[in-house]
Amino acid sequence: MHRIIIIEDDTSIRDELTLLLTNEGYHVFALTDFSEAGKQAEEYRPNLILLDLGLPGRDGFALCKDIRKKSSVPIIFVTSRDNSMDELRALSLGGDDYVTKPYNIPVLLARIKAVLRRSADFGGQEDYTEANGLRLDLSRGILEYNSKNCEATKNEIKILCCLMRRPGEIISRADLIEYLWDNQIYIDDNTLSVNMTRLRAKLTDLGLGDYITTKRGMGYKI
Amino acid sequence: MKLNEFMRDRQGQVFLHIVSMAALSVFLYLTGTAPGVLILVLLVWILGLVASMLLKYHKEYSRLKELESIMDGLDKKYLFAECVSKPVDIYERKIFQLMRRSGKAMIEAVSEAQNGQKEYREYIEDWVHEIKAPITAGQLICGNNKSELSRKLLPQLAQIEEHVERALYYARAGSVEKDFIIRKMSLSDIIKEAVARHQTLLIQNGVKMETSGLDVMVYTDGKWVTFMIGQLLSNAMRYRTENPVIRIEAYNYGKQVRLSVTDNGIGVPAGELPRIFERGFTGSNGRERGGSTGMGLYICKKLADFLQIRLDAEAVQNEYTSISMTFPAKENLAKM
Repeated sequence: MHRIIIIEDDTSIRDELTLLLTNEGYHVFALTDFSEAGKQAEEYRPNLILLDLGLPGRDGFALCKDIRKKSSVPIIFVTSRDNSMDELRALSLGGDDYVTKPYNIPVLLARIKAVLRRSADFGGQEDYTEANGLRLDLSRGILEYNSKNCEATKNEIKILCCLMRRPGEIISRADLIEYLWDNQIYIDDNTLSVNMTRLRAKLTDLGLGDYITTKRGMGYKI
Repeated sequence: MKLNEFMRDRQGQVFLHIVSMAALSVFLYLTGTAPGVLILVLLVWILGLVASMLLKYHKEYSRLKELESIMDGLDKKYLFAECVSKPVDIYERKIFQLMRRSGKAMIEAVSEAQNGQKEYREYIEDWVHEIKAPITAGQLICGNNKSELSRKLLPQLAQIEEHVERALYYARAGSVEKDFIIRKMSLSDIIKEAVARHQTLLIQNGVKMETSGLDVMVYTDGKWVTFMIGQLLSNAMRYRTENPVIRIEAYNYGKQVRLSVTDNGIGVPAGELPRIFERGFTGSNGRERGGSTGMGLYICKKLADFLQIRLDAEAVQNEYTSISMTFPAKENLAKM
Protein backbone atom coordinates (compact mmCIF):
# COMPACT_ATOMS: atom_id res chain seq x y z
CA MET A 1 0.00 0.00 0.00
CA HIS A 2 1.15 3.55 -0.59
CA ARG A 3 2.61 5.42 2.31
CA ILE A 4 1.77 9.08 2.76
CA ILE A 5 3.29 11.57 5.16
CA ILE A 6 1.11 14.50 6.23
CA ILE A 7 2.85 17.65 7.40
CA GLU A 8 0.12 19.96 8.68
CA ASP A 9 -0.03 22.10 11.80
CA ASP A 10 -3.81 22.47 12.20
CA THR A 11 -4.75 19.52 14.38
CA SER A 12 -8.34 19.08 13.23
CA ILE A 13 -7.33 19.13 9.57
CA ARG A 14 -4.47 16.75 10.31
CA ASP A 15 -6.71 14.26 12.12
CA GLU A 16 -9.49 14.36 9.56
CA LEU A 17 -7.07 14.11 6.66
CA THR A 18 -5.43 11.11 8.29
CA LEU A 19 -8.83 9.47 8.70
CA LEU A 20 -9.83 10.26 5.11
CA LEU A 21 -6.67 8.87 3.56
CA THR A 22 -6.68 5.82 5.84
CA ASN A 23 -10.24 5.11 4.71
CA GLU A 24 -9.04 5.39 1.13
CA GLY A 25 -6.54 2.64 1.87
CA TYR A 26 -3.31 4.57 2.31
CA HIS A 27 -0.80 4.14 5.10
CA VAL A 28 -0.72 7.52 6.74
CA PHE A 29 1.89 8.99 8.99
CA ALA A 30 1.14 12.45 10.37
CA LEU A 31 4.10 14.42 11.64
CA THR A 32 3.61 16.42 14.81
CA ASP A 33 7.18 17.66 15.19
CA PHE A 34 8.28 19.41 12.04
CA SER A 35 11.89 20.11 12.98
CA GLU A 36 12.98 16.64 11.92
CA ALA A 37 10.82 16.44 8.82
CA GLY A 38 13.73 15.88 6.46
CA LYS A 39 15.05 13.00 8.50
CA GLN A 40 11.64 11.44 9.05
CA ALA A 41 10.84 11.68 5.38
CA GLU A 42 13.91 9.59 4.77
CA GLU A 43 13.23 7.03 7.48
CA TYR A 44 9.58 6.44 6.73
CA ARG A 45 10.21 6.04 2.98
CA PRO A 46 6.84 7.49 1.92
CA ASN A 47 5.49 7.38 -1.62
CA LEU A 48 4.08 10.86 -1.19
CA ILE A 49 4.24 13.84 1.14
CA LEU A 50 1.39 16.27 1.69
CA LEU A 51 3.07 19.46 2.82
CA ASP A 52 1.34 22.50 4.28
CA LEU A 53 2.99 25.80 3.46
CA GLY A 54 2.01 27.85 6.49
CA LEU A 55 3.76 26.05 9.31
CA PRO A 56 4.89 27.66 12.55
CA GLY A 57 8.61 28.32 12.71
CA ARG A 58 10.01 27.14 9.40
CA ASP A 59 7.61 27.22 6.54
CA GLY A 60 6.84 24.56 3.98
CA PHE A 61 9.30 25.96 1.46
CA ALA A 62 12.20 25.42 3.87
CA LEU A 63 10.99 21.91 4.70
CA CYS A 64 10.67 21.13 1.02
CA LYS A 65 14.30 22.15 0.50
CA ASP A 66 15.35 19.89 3.38
CA ILE A 67 13.43 16.95 2.05
CA ARG A 68 14.69 17.47 -1.48
CA LYS A 69 18.29 17.29 -0.24
CA LYS A 70 17.70 13.71 0.79
CA SER A 71 14.97 12.28 -1.37
CA SER A 72 13.01 12.77 -4.54
CA VAL A 73 9.68 11.63 -3.06
CA PRO A 74 6.68 13.32 -4.70
CA ILE A 75 5.47 16.33 -2.74
CA ILE A 76 2.04 17.91 -2.98
CA PHE A 77 1.81 21.35 -1.43
CA VAL A 78 -1.44 22.00 0.38
CA THR A 79 -2.07 25.57 1.38
CA SER A 80 -4.60 28.27 1.94
CA ARG A 81 -2.24 30.84 0.45
CA ASP A 82 -3.29 30.75 -3.13
CA ASN A 83 -1.24 33.41 -4.79
CA SER A 84 0.70 32.69 -7.91
CA MET A 85 4.11 33.58 -6.57
CA ASP A 86 3.83 30.91 -3.88
CA GLU A 87 2.63 28.41 -6.42
CA LEU A 88 5.53 29.18 -8.75
CA ARG A 89 7.99 28.96 -5.89
CA ALA A 90 6.54 25.68 -4.67
CA LEU A 91 6.80 24.10 -8.09
CA SER A 92 10.28 25.42 -8.69
CA LEU A 93 11.47 24.00 -5.37
CA GLY A 94 10.52 20.57 -6.62
CA GLY A 95 6.90 20.28 -5.55
CA ASP A 96 4.86 17.98 -7.77
CA ASP A 97 1.48 19.62 -7.33
CA TYR A 98 -0.14 22.49 -5.53
CA VAL A 99 -3.62 22.21 -4.01
CA THR A 100 -5.35 25.11 -2.32
CA LYS A 101 -7.57 24.90 0.74
CA PRO A 102 -10.41 24.44 1.19
CA TYR A 103 -9.98 21.50 -1.09
CA ASN A 104 -12.76 19.51 -2.51
CA ILE A 105 -12.20 15.95 -1.31
CA PRO A 106 -12.58 14.15 -4.67
CA VAL A 107 -10.27 16.72 -6.26
CA LEU A 108 -7.63 16.15 -3.60
CA LEU A 109 -7.88 12.37 -3.92
CA ALA A 110 -7.66 12.59 -7.70
CA ARG A 111 -4.54 14.76 -7.49
CA ILE A 112 -2.93 12.33 -5.03
CA LYS A 113 -3.68 9.44 -7.37
CA ALA A 114 -2.35 11.34 -10.36
CA VAL A 115 0.94 12.18 -8.65
CA LEU A 116 1.35 8.60 -7.43
CA ARG A 117 0.66 7.30 -10.89
CA ARG A 118 3.28 9.60 -12.35
CA SER A 119 5.93 8.49 -9.89
CA ALA A 120 7.66 5.37 -11.09
CA ASP A 121 6.71 2.92 -8.37
CA PHE A 122 2.99 2.97 -9.00
CA GLY A 123 1.74 -0.41 -10.16
CA GLY A 124 -0.33 -0.73 -13.30
CA GLN A 125 -3.98 0.15 -12.82
CA GLU A 126 -6.56 -2.57 -12.98
CA ASP A 127 -8.55 -2.35 -16.13
CA TYR A 128 -11.25 -4.75 -15.15
CA THR A 129 -13.34 -5.49 -12.09
CA GLU A 130 -15.45 -8.48 -11.14
CA ALA A 131 -18.29 -9.24 -8.73
CA ASN A 132 -20.77 -12.11 -8.43
CA GLY A 133 -19.68 -13.60 -11.75
CA LEU A 134 -20.06 -10.44 -13.81
CA ARG A 135 -16.83 -9.17 -15.31
CA LEU A 136 -16.47 -5.56 -16.28
CA ASP A 137 -13.86 -4.62 -18.87
CA LEU A 138 -13.19 -0.99 -18.07
CA SER A 139 -10.88 -0.18 -20.95
CA ARG A 140 -13.22 -1.48 -23.66
CA GLY A 141 -16.51 -0.82 -21.86
CA ILE A 142 -17.81 -4.36 -22.11
CA LEU A 143 -19.84 -6.52 -19.71
CA GLU A 144 -19.06 -10.25 -19.69
CA TYR A 145 -21.02 -13.06 -18.07
CA ASN A 146 -20.87 -16.78 -18.86
CA SER A 147 -19.05 -16.14 -22.16
CA LYS A 148 -21.81 -13.79 -23.27
CA ASN A 149 -21.00 -10.14 -23.52
CA CYS A 150 -22.45 -6.77 -24.44
CA GLU A 151 -21.30 -3.19 -24.74
CA ALA A 152 -22.17 -0.59 -22.13
CA THR A 153 -22.06 3.19 -22.12
CA LYS A 154 -19.71 5.21 -19.95
CA ASN A 155 -22.54 6.07 -17.55
CA GLU A 156 -23.61 2.43 -17.20
CA ILE A 157 -20.02 1.32 -16.59
CA LYS A 158 -19.57 3.88 -13.85
CA ILE A 159 -22.85 2.96 -12.16
CA LEU A 160 -21.77 -0.67 -12.08
CA CYS A 161 -18.31 0.33 -10.86
CA CYS A 162 -19.80 2.15 -7.93
CA LEU A 163 -22.02 -0.76 -6.93
CA MET A 164 -19.31 -3.40 -7.50
CA ARG A 165 -16.87 -1.59 -5.23
CA ARG A 166 -18.92 -2.65 -2.24
CA PRO A 167 -20.88 -5.79 -3.07
CA GLY A 168 -23.63 -6.63 -0.59
CA GLU A 169 -23.86 -3.06 0.65
CA ILE A 170 -26.80 -0.81 -0.03
CA ILE A 171 -25.73 2.22 -2.00
CA SER A 172 -28.14 5.13 -1.78
CA ARG A 173 -29.13 7.07 -4.89
CA ALA A 174 -27.50 10.16 -3.39
CA ASP A 175 -24.20 8.30 -2.95
CA LEU A 176 -24.48 6.95 -6.46
CA ILE A 177 -25.07 10.37 -7.98
CA GLU A 178 -22.20 11.83 -5.97
CA TYR A 179 -19.89 9.09 -7.21
CA LEU A 180 -20.92 9.78 -10.80
CA TRP A 181 -20.32 13.52 -10.44
CA ASP A 182 -16.91 12.76 -8.97
CA ASN A 183 -16.26 10.98 -12.25
CA GLN A 184 -17.48 13.86 -14.40
CA ILE A 185 -20.86 12.35 -15.19
CA TYR A 186 -23.14 15.23 -14.29
CA ILE A 187 -26.60 13.67 -14.26
CA ASP A 188 -29.74 14.36 -12.30
CA ASP A 189 -32.05 11.96 -10.55
CA ASN A 190 -34.30 11.31 -13.57
CA THR A 191 -31.39 10.55 -15.86
CA LEU A 192 -30.05 8.11 -13.30
CA SER A 193 -33.38 6.27 -13.41
CA VAL A 194 -33.25 6.12 -17.21
CA ASN A 195 -29.65 4.85 -17.15
CA MET A 196 -30.58 2.29 -14.52
CA THR A 197 -33.45 0.95 -16.61
CA ARG A 198 -31.22 0.59 -19.68
CA LEU A 199 -28.50 -1.07 -17.65
CA ARG A 200 -30.97 -3.55 -16.21
CA ALA A 201 -32.21 -4.39 -19.70
CA LYS A 202 -28.65 -5.14 -20.80
CA LEU A 203 -28.04 -7.28 -17.73
CA THR A 204 -31.26 -9.18 -18.41
CA ASP A 205 -30.02 -9.91 -21.93
CA LEU A 206 -26.91 -11.43 -20.37
CA GLY A 207 -29.13 -13.55 -18.13
CA LEU A 208 -28.58 -11.41 -15.03
CA GLY A 209 -32.12 -10.09 -14.61
CA ASP A 210 -31.89 -9.56 -10.86
CA TYR A 211 -28.23 -8.64 -10.63
CA ILE A 212 -29.07 -5.25 -9.13
CA THR A 213 -31.67 -5.28 -6.41
CA THR A 214 -33.63 -2.20 -5.44
CA LYS A 215 -34.21 -1.48 -1.78
CA ARG A 216 -37.17 0.81 -1.75
CA GLY A 217 -36.40 4.18 -0.22
CA MET A 218 -32.84 3.10 0.51
CA GLY A 219 -30.96 2.45 -2.67
CA TYR A 220 -29.39 -0.32 -4.73
CA LYS A 221 -27.38 -3.40 -3.95
CA ILE A 222 -25.59 -6.13 -5.86
CA MET B 1 -5.06 83.40 -21.97
CA LYS B 2 -5.96 85.66 -24.83
CA LEU B 3 -4.93 89.32 -25.20
CA ASN B 4 -8.49 90.59 -24.79
CA GLU B 5 -8.92 88.54 -21.62
CA PHE B 6 -5.70 90.06 -20.35
CA MET B 7 -6.91 93.57 -21.22
CA ARG B 8 -10.28 93.05 -19.63
CA ASP B 9 -8.48 92.23 -16.38
CA ARG B 10 -6.69 95.59 -16.62
CA GLN B 11 -9.67 97.78 -17.50
CA GLY B 12 -9.37 99.64 -14.20
CA GLN B 13 -5.68 100.31 -14.67
CA VAL B 14 -6.17 101.62 -18.23
CA PHE B 15 -9.08 103.77 -17.08
CA LEU B 16 -6.90 105.25 -14.34
CA HIS B 17 -4.19 106.06 -16.91
CA ILE B 18 -6.75 107.79 -19.16
CA VAL B 19 -8.09 109.86 -16.27
CA SER B 20 -4.54 110.83 -15.28
CA MET B 21 -3.72 111.74 -18.89
CA ALA B 22 -6.80 113.93 -19.07
CA ALA B 23 -5.96 115.61 -15.77
CA LEU B 24 -2.38 116.24 -16.86
CA SER B 25 -3.54 117.61 -20.23
CA VAL B 26 -5.92 120.04 -18.55
CA PHE B 27 -3.23 121.11 -16.08
CA LEU B 28 -0.57 121.58 -18.78
CA TYR B 29 -3.01 123.39 -21.06
CA LEU B 30 -4.07 125.79 -18.35
CA THR B 31 -0.49 126.49 -17.34
CA GLY B 32 0.22 127.45 -20.95
CA THR B 33 2.10 124.52 -22.42
CA ALA B 34 2.14 124.47 -26.19
CA PRO B 35 -0.28 121.90 -27.72
CA GLY B 36 2.58 120.25 -29.66
CA VAL B 37 4.52 119.54 -26.49
CA LEU B 38 1.35 118.32 -24.82
CA ILE B 39 0.71 115.78 -27.60
CA LEU B 40 4.32 114.61 -27.43
CA VAL B 41 4.07 114.06 -23.69
CA LEU B 42 0.83 112.08 -24.15
CA LEU B 43 2.36 109.99 -26.96
CA VAL B 44 5.38 109.05 -24.86
CA TRP B 45 3.03 108.15 -22.03
CA ILE B 46 0.84 105.94 -24.23
CA LEU B 47 3.86 104.27 -25.80
CA GLY B 48 5.34 103.48 -22.39
CA LEU B 49 1.99 102.12 -21.19
CA VAL B 50 1.44 99.88 -24.23
CA ALA B 51 5.02 98.58 -24.12
CA SER B 52 4.87 97.70 -20.43
CA MET B 53 1.49 96.03 -20.89
CA LEU B 54 2.69 93.94 -23.83
CA LEU B 55 5.78 92.90 -21.93
CA LYS B 56 3.67 91.90 -18.97
CA TYR B 57 1.29 90.00 -21.24
CA HIS B 58 4.14 88.15 -22.89
CA LYS B 59 5.64 87.19 -19.56
CA GLU B 60 2.38 85.93 -18.11
CA TYR B 61 1.44 84.16 -21.31
CA SER B 62 4.66 82.16 -21.54
CA ARG B 63 4.65 81.37 -17.83
CA LEU B 64 1.10 80.05 -18.07
CA LYS B 65 2.03 77.95 -21.11
CA GLU B 66 4.91 76.47 -19.17
CA LEU B 67 2.71 75.64 -16.18
CA GLU B 68 0.03 74.10 -18.36
CA SER B 69 2.50 71.84 -20.11
CA ILE B 70 3.90 70.71 -16.75
CA MET B 71 0.39 69.92 -15.59
CA ASP B 72 -0.41 68.00 -18.75
CA GLY B 73 2.72 65.92 -18.38
CA LEU B 74 1.99 65.01 -14.79
CA ASP B 75 0.68 61.57 -13.91
CA LYS B 76 -0.42 62.53 -10.42
CA LYS B 77 -1.86 66.00 -10.86
CA TYR B 78 -1.89 66.77 -7.17
CA LEU B 79 1.92 66.86 -7.20
CA PHE B 80 1.77 69.98 -9.40
CA ALA B 81 3.01 72.47 -6.86
CA GLU B 82 6.04 70.26 -6.18
CA CYS B 83 7.05 70.12 -9.80
CA VAL B 84 7.00 73.73 -11.06
CA SER B 85 10.10 75.93 -11.17
CA LYS B 86 10.24 78.53 -8.45
CA PRO B 87 8.48 81.76 -9.45
CA VAL B 88 10.41 85.04 -9.46
CA ASP B 89 7.95 87.70 -8.49
CA ILE B 90 6.84 88.03 -4.93
CA TYR B 91 3.08 87.79 -5.49
CA GLU B 92 3.31 84.57 -7.45
CA ARG B 93 5.79 83.23 -4.95
CA LYS B 94 3.37 83.77 -2.09
CA ILE B 95 0.57 82.07 -4.04
CA PHE B 96 2.83 79.13 -4.75
CA GLN B 97 3.79 78.79 -1.12
CA LEU B 98 0.11 78.53 -0.29
CA MET B 99 -0.50 76.00 -3.07
CA ARG B 100 2.43 73.97 -1.91
CA ARG B 101 1.11 73.85 1.62
CA SER B 102 -2.27 72.75 0.41
CA GLY B 103 -0.64 70.22 -1.93
CA LYS B 104 1.42 68.80 0.89
CA ALA B 105 -1.62 68.31 3.04
CA MET B 106 -3.32 66.62 0.10
CA ILE B 107 -0.37 64.31 -0.52
CA GLU B 108 -0.32 63.34 3.11
CA ALA B 109 -4.03 62.64 3.09
CA VAL B 110 -3.74 60.59 -0.08
CA SER B 111 -0.85 58.46 1.14
CA GLU B 112 -2.55 57.98 4.46
CA ALA B 113 -5.66 56.75 2.67
CA GLN B 114 -3.56 54.50 0.45
CA ASN B 115 -1.75 53.00 3.41
CA GLY B 116 -5.01 52.48 5.21
CA GLN B 117 -6.46 50.74 2.20
CA LYS B 118 -3.39 48.57 1.79
CA GLU B 119 -3.45 47.56 5.43
CA TYR B 120 -7.12 46.76 5.21
CA ARG B 121 -6.59 44.73 2.09
CA GLU B 122 -3.77 42.79 3.68
CA TYR B 123 -5.88 42.17 6.72
CA ILE B 124 -8.71 40.83 4.55
CA GLU B 125 -6.24 38.53 2.79
CA ASP B 126 -4.88 37.21 6.06
CA TRP B 127 -8.34 36.79 7.44
CA VAL B 128 -9.44 34.85 4.38
CA HIS B 129 -6.47 32.51 4.70
CA GLU B 130 -7.20 31.97 8.36
CA ILE B 131 -10.85 31.20 7.89
CA LYS B 132 -10.01 28.66 5.22
CA ALA B 133 -8.50 26.33 7.82
CA PRO B 134 -11.75 25.74 9.76
CA ILE B 135 -13.70 25.50 6.48
CA THR B 136 -11.28 22.83 5.28
CA ALA B 137 -11.57 20.97 8.56
CA GLY B 138 -15.36 21.19 8.36
CA GLN B 139 -15.39 19.80 4.82
CA LEU B 140 -13.13 16.92 5.82
CA ILE B 141 -15.31 16.12 8.83
CA CYS B 142 -18.36 16.03 6.55
CA GLY B 143 -16.50 13.90 4.02
CA ASN B 144 -15.45 11.41 6.68
CA ASN B 145 -18.95 11.17 8.19
CA LYS B 146 -21.31 11.01 5.26
CA SER B 147 -24.89 11.27 6.39
CA GLU B 148 -28.04 13.30 5.87
CA LEU B 149 -26.56 15.89 8.19
CA SER B 150 -23.29 16.18 6.32
CA ARG B 151 -25.17 16.52 3.04
CA LYS B 152 -27.05 19.46 4.49
CA LEU B 153 -23.95 20.98 6.01
CA LEU B 154 -21.65 20.68 3.01
CA PRO B 155 -23.51 23.13 0.79
CA GLN B 156 -23.54 25.62 3.63
CA LEU B 157 -19.78 25.26 3.92
CA ALA B 158 -19.53 25.63 0.17
CA GLN B 159 -21.49 28.85 0.38
CA ILE B 160 -19.28 30.20 3.13
CA GLU B 161 -16.31 29.32 0.98
CA GLU B 162 -17.78 31.08 -2.00
CA HIS B 163 -18.47 34.27 -0.07
CA VAL B 164 -15.01 34.18 1.41
CA GLU B 165 -13.41 33.66 -1.99
CA ARG B 166 -15.33 36.58 -3.38
CA ALA B 167 -14.06 38.82 -0.61
CA LEU B 168 -10.52 37.71 -1.34
CA TYR B 169 -10.80 38.22 -5.06
CA TYR B 170 -12.37 41.60 -4.55
CA ALA B 171 -9.60 42.62 -2.18
CA ARG B 172 -7.11 41.46 -4.75
CA ALA B 173 -8.74 42.52 -7.96
CA GLY B 174 -6.79 45.77 -7.79
CA SER B 175 -3.51 43.90 -7.88
CA VAL B 176 -4.30 40.97 -10.11
CA GLU B 177 -1.39 41.89 -12.34
CA LYS B 178 0.94 40.57 -9.67
CA ASP B 179 -0.98 37.41 -9.13
CA PHE B 180 -1.39 35.25 -12.15
CA ILE B 181 0.56 32.78 -14.20
CA ILE B 182 -0.44 32.21 -17.80
CA ARG B 183 0.03 28.57 -18.58
CA LYS B 184 -1.24 26.03 -21.01
CA MET B 185 -4.26 24.60 -19.22
CA SER B 186 -6.67 21.85 -20.05
CA LEU B 187 -10.12 23.38 -20.15
CA SER B 188 -11.68 20.12 -19.01
CA ASP B 189 -9.48 20.14 -15.88
CA ILE B 190 -10.58 23.67 -15.11
CA ILE B 191 -14.24 22.78 -15.51
CA LYS B 192 -13.77 19.62 -13.47
CA GLU B 193 -12.37 21.63 -10.59
CA ALA B 194 -15.01 24.36 -10.80
CA VAL B 195 -17.84 21.82 -10.87
CA ALA B 196 -16.32 19.80 -8.04
CA ARG B 197 -16.23 22.91 -5.88
CA HIS B 198 -19.97 23.44 -6.35
CA GLN B 199 -20.92 19.80 -6.66
CA THR B 200 -23.02 19.32 -3.54
CA LEU B 201 -25.13 22.35 -4.24
CA LEU B 202 -25.55 21.47 -7.92
CA ILE B 203 -26.73 17.97 -7.07
CA GLN B 204 -29.10 19.22 -4.40
CA ASN B 205 -30.67 21.66 -6.79
CA GLY B 206 -31.26 18.76 -9.16
CA VAL B 207 -29.10 20.28 -11.83
CA LYS B 208 -28.29 18.29 -14.91
CA MET B 209 -25.09 19.27 -16.65
CA GLU B 210 -24.14 18.70 -20.22
CA THR B 211 -20.62 19.24 -21.42
CA SER B 212 -19.16 19.12 -24.87
CA GLY B 213 -15.93 19.92 -26.64
CA LEU B 214 -13.98 20.54 -23.45
CA ASP B 215 -10.90 18.64 -24.58
CA VAL B 216 -9.05 21.75 -25.61
CA MET B 217 -6.12 23.64 -24.23
CA VAL B 218 -6.22 27.32 -23.38
CA TYR B 219 -3.50 29.73 -22.35
CA THR B 220 -4.66 31.36 -19.16
CA ASP B 221 -4.47 31.33 -15.39
CA GLY B 222 -6.29 28.29 -14.03
CA LYS B 223 -7.10 29.66 -10.61
CA TRP B 224 -8.88 32.80 -11.81
CA VAL B 225 -10.79 31.03 -14.55
CA THR B 226 -11.92 28.35 -12.09
CA PHE B 227 -13.23 31.11 -9.86
CA MET B 228 -15.04 32.81 -12.75
CA ILE B 229 -16.71 29.61 -13.89
CA GLY B 230 -17.69 28.95 -10.28
CA GLN B 231 -19.43 32.33 -10.24
CA LEU B 232 -21.30 31.49 -13.44
CA LEU B 233 -22.40 28.12 -12.04
CA SER B 234 -23.58 29.68 -8.85
CA ASN B 235 -25.53 32.31 -10.78
CA ALA B 236 -27.09 29.60 -12.91
CA MET B 237 -28.24 27.89 -9.74
CA ARG B 238 -29.55 31.02 -8.10
CA TYR B 239 -31.66 31.99 -11.10
CA ARG B 240 -32.86 28.51 -11.98
CA THR B 241 -36.31 27.32 -12.86
CA GLU B 242 -37.68 23.81 -12.53
CA ASN B 243 -35.58 21.03 -14.08
CA PRO B 244 -32.43 23.10 -14.32
CA VAL B 245 -29.95 22.21 -17.03
CA ILE B 246 -26.53 23.83 -17.39
CA ARG B 247 -24.71 23.34 -20.66
CA ILE B 248 -20.98 23.96 -20.82
CA GLU B 249 -19.58 23.94 -24.32
CA ALA B 250 -16.30 24.88 -25.86
CA TYR B 251 -15.53 25.36 -29.50
CA ASN B 252 -12.91 26.92 -31.68
CA TYR B 253 -13.64 30.46 -32.69
CA GLY B 254 -11.06 31.29 -35.31
CA LYS B 255 -7.77 30.82 -33.53
CA GLN B 256 -9.42 31.45 -30.19
CA VAL B 257 -11.34 29.13 -27.94
CA ARG B 258 -14.78 30.10 -26.78
CA LEU B 259 -16.41 28.60 -23.74
CA SER B 260 -20.07 29.15 -23.02
CA VAL B 261 -22.07 28.42 -19.90
CA THR B 262 -25.77 28.32 -20.69
CA ASP B 263 -28.63 27.69 -18.32
CA ASN B 264 -32.36 27.34 -18.83
CA GLY B 265 -33.16 29.70 -15.99
CA ILE B 266 -35.19 32.85 -15.65
CA GLY B 267 -33.00 34.86 -18.01
CA VAL B 268 -32.46 38.61 -17.91
CA PRO B 269 -34.83 41.35 -19.11
CA ALA B 270 -33.48 42.76 -22.38
CA GLY B 271 -33.16 46.24 -20.95
CA GLU B 272 -30.97 45.08 -18.09
CA LEU B 273 -28.64 42.88 -20.10
CA PRO B 274 -26.04 45.54 -20.97
CA ARG B 275 -25.66 46.40 -17.29
CA ILE B 276 -25.13 42.98 -15.70
CA PHE B 277 -21.35 43.38 -15.47
CA GLU B 278 -21.68 46.68 -13.63
CA ARG B 279 -20.62 46.94 -10.04
CA GLY B 280 -23.47 46.47 -7.61
CA PHE B 281 -26.07 45.95 -10.32
CA THR B 282 -28.63 43.44 -9.11
CA GLY B 283 -31.48 44.08 -11.54
CA SER B 284 -35.08 43.03 -11.11
CA ASN B 285 -34.10 39.35 -10.73
CA GLY B 286 -31.79 40.15 -7.86
CA ARG B 287 -34.38 42.34 -6.19
CA GLU B 288 -37.10 39.72 -6.41
CA ARG B 289 -34.98 36.81 -5.25
CA GLY B 290 -32.75 38.61 -2.80
CA GLY B 291 -29.31 37.49 -1.78
CA SER B 292 -27.52 38.96 -4.75
CA THR B 293 -24.81 41.50 -4.25
CA GLY B 294 -24.15 42.56 -7.80
CA MET B 295 -20.50 41.78 -7.26
CA GLY B 296 -20.05 38.34 -8.82
CA LEU B 297 -20.21 39.27 -12.49
CA TYR B 298 -18.51 42.59 -11.84
CA ILE B 299 -15.47 40.80 -10.42
CA CYS B 300 -15.59 38.30 -13.29
CA LYS B 301 -15.48 41.15 -15.76
CA LYS B 302 -12.50 42.75 -14.06
CA LEU B 303 -10.62 39.48 -13.98
CA ALA B 304 -11.50 38.75 -17.59
CA ASP B 305 -10.10 42.11 -18.65
CA PHE B 306 -6.81 41.31 -16.96
CA LEU B 307 -6.60 37.90 -18.58
CA GLN B 308 -7.66 39.29 -21.99
CA ILE B 309 -10.72 37.08 -21.99
CA ARG B 310 -13.76 38.52 -23.69
CA LEU B 311 -16.98 38.12 -21.74
CA ASP B 312 -20.26 38.21 -23.61
CA ALA B 313 -23.73 37.81 -22.23
CA GLU B 314 -26.80 36.70 -24.08
CA ALA B 315 -30.18 36.11 -22.50
CA VAL B 316 -33.90 35.87 -23.15
CA GLN B 317 -36.22 36.47 -20.26
CA ASN B 318 -37.80 33.29 -18.91
CA GLU B 319 -35.78 31.18 -21.33
CA TYR B 320 -32.04 31.17 -20.83
CA THR B 321 -28.89 33.03 -19.91
CA SER B 322 -25.64 32.33 -21.67
CA ILE B 323 -22.29 33.79 -20.71
CA SER B 324 -19.39 33.12 -23.01
CA MET B 325 -15.69 33.52 -22.41
CA THR B 326 -13.44 33.90 -25.41
CA PHE B 327 -9.87 32.97 -24.55
CA PRO B 328 -7.12 34.77 -26.42
CA ALA B 329 -5.09 32.83 -28.96
CA LYS B 330 -1.56 32.08 -27.79
CA GLU B 331 0.10 34.42 -30.25
CA ASN B 332 -2.27 37.24 -29.38
CA LEU B 333 -1.43 37.23 -25.72
CA ALA B 334 0.11 40.62 -25.34
CA LYS B 335 2.83 40.97 -22.80
CA MET B 336 1.17 41.23 -19.42
